[in-house]
Amino acid sequence: MSVNETVLKHLERFTGTDQVRKDLNIDLFGERLLDSLASIELVLALSEDFSLDLAPGDVDRDEWATPQKIIDYINARAKQA
Amino acid sequence: MTPYIDFLYFGVSLYVIIPALIIGFFKRGWRTWLVIATVIMLSIQYTHPRVVMGRGVSELALLLGYAVLQWVITIAFLSIRKKGINRAAYYTALFFNLLPLLAAKFIPFFNPEYPLLFLGLSYITFRVLDVTIGIQDNFIKDVKPLPYLTFLLFFPIISSGPIDRYRRFSEDWNRERSREQFAQDVDGGVQRIFTGFLYKFILAALIKQYWLDPVSQGTDFLHTLSYMYAYFFYLFFDFAGYSSFAIGFSYLFGIHMPENFNKPFLARDIRDYWNRWHMSLSFWFRDHIYNRFVFGALKGKWFKNSQTASNLGYLLTMTLMGLWHGTAWHYIIYGFYHGVLLIATNWLDKKYKGNRLLNDNGFFWQAISILITFHLVGFGLLLFSGRLFHN
Repeated sequence: MSVNETVLKHLERFTGTDQVRKDLNIDLFGERLLDSLASIELVLALSEDFSLDLAPGDVDRDEWATPQKIIDYINARAKQA
Repeated sequence: MTPYIDFLYFGVSLYVIIPALIIGFFKRGWRTWLVIATVIMLSIQYTHPRVVMGRGVSELALLLGYAVLQWVITIAFLSIRKKGINRAAYYTALFFNLLPLLAAKFIPFFNPEYPLLFLGLSYITFRVLDVTIGIQDNFIKDVKPLPYLTFLLFFPIISSGPIDRYRRFSEDWNRERSREQFAQDVDGGVQRIFTGFLYKFILAALIKQYWLDPVSQGTDFLHTLSYMYAYFFYLFFDFAGYSSFAIGFSYLFGIHMPENFNKPFLARDIRDYWNRWHMSLSFWFRDHIYNRFVFGALKGKWFKNSQTASNLGYLLTMTLMGLWHGTAWHYIIYGFYHGVLLIATNWLDKKYKGNRLLNDNGFFWQAISILITFHLVGFGLLLFSGRLFHN
């Protein structure tokens, strides 16, 4: 599964809506789709799926503001690893 | 001299601000001036003599000694972290980061004559811890002495914040401003400083003189209720005014301190409130306590249910936040109270999905939820004031 697909699958699960798929630039925290707990669950799910060593400090609300930004972030981290 | 208290302070500060503007305009040597200005202002602000181990020490020496000691701890930890994750070293570094604050808070219990505290220690501790945590998470890979010490000691925010982050500060420190950006910074700085005058010297002063002080004499229900409103408004205008000065001064030096307040009276619920009130503090606690606790709990599968981890995270985070304000019981109760409110708000929102109180954006429901939040928060500040426990 591609990075896009995996990130969106998890986002759909944690936000409970497919809006995240329709609008990749939706403000996840501003629209209250993602709360603090869900954002940590997302980091853990992504670090498992991509075998990345993500830390709690990886949840930066600016860097993780939209689905597209999360996809870009994971792509960049996967490249580093 | 205490920052932003009287016009003398503002007058004195012109001696470092005017050169900062000239240097900023010509875009040369602004970092050097930022460091020199900090040294000048700190030597004016920190003049109380202190006694350490029976010997007289100047407060400034205590402050600088503290900062250098923290730098040594930080680079020692950094060099260990570069070789890989070492949890023992991480916790040791955190312990030594916290030790001066713990000593300052708890030693006076045993010996009141022995105050190690200097103004701003509890705020500097946040910044020191931020760097250690950033190193542990591998975001901070390099800690040079000059930016690190300036980050800890930057004079406009040393006494009461806002609480900056090292990653954010480093971006400003390494930035070269264009003339247009410089002009924007001056504009932003001046606007904030004048907001500060309006909030702190006019509105907070009027509220204190004509409302807060008169009602604080009575102890019956109506006086206490009136005191609650007065105290809420007073705290906001006093602290938001102070923050406005601190952020405004920082802008004049090219440092974009994070904002501290965003119309807290319009908060829709308690979660929203903590995104609007003393934000630099609440975000620090969210990122460094709540997130880390929940991350550890979920990863280590400490609880059956992730919501349990989150709820305990709220209680832990908010109680620590209360305790940070002071060791008196009313601060701890204040923190615990907010932890309970956060849990209750989340429970309500999950149990009654899409409930109108928290989700309907029509005028009526928004007004109701804002009014309820305002009173829940106001009661919290009444707990915080300690008034209910003294009378």
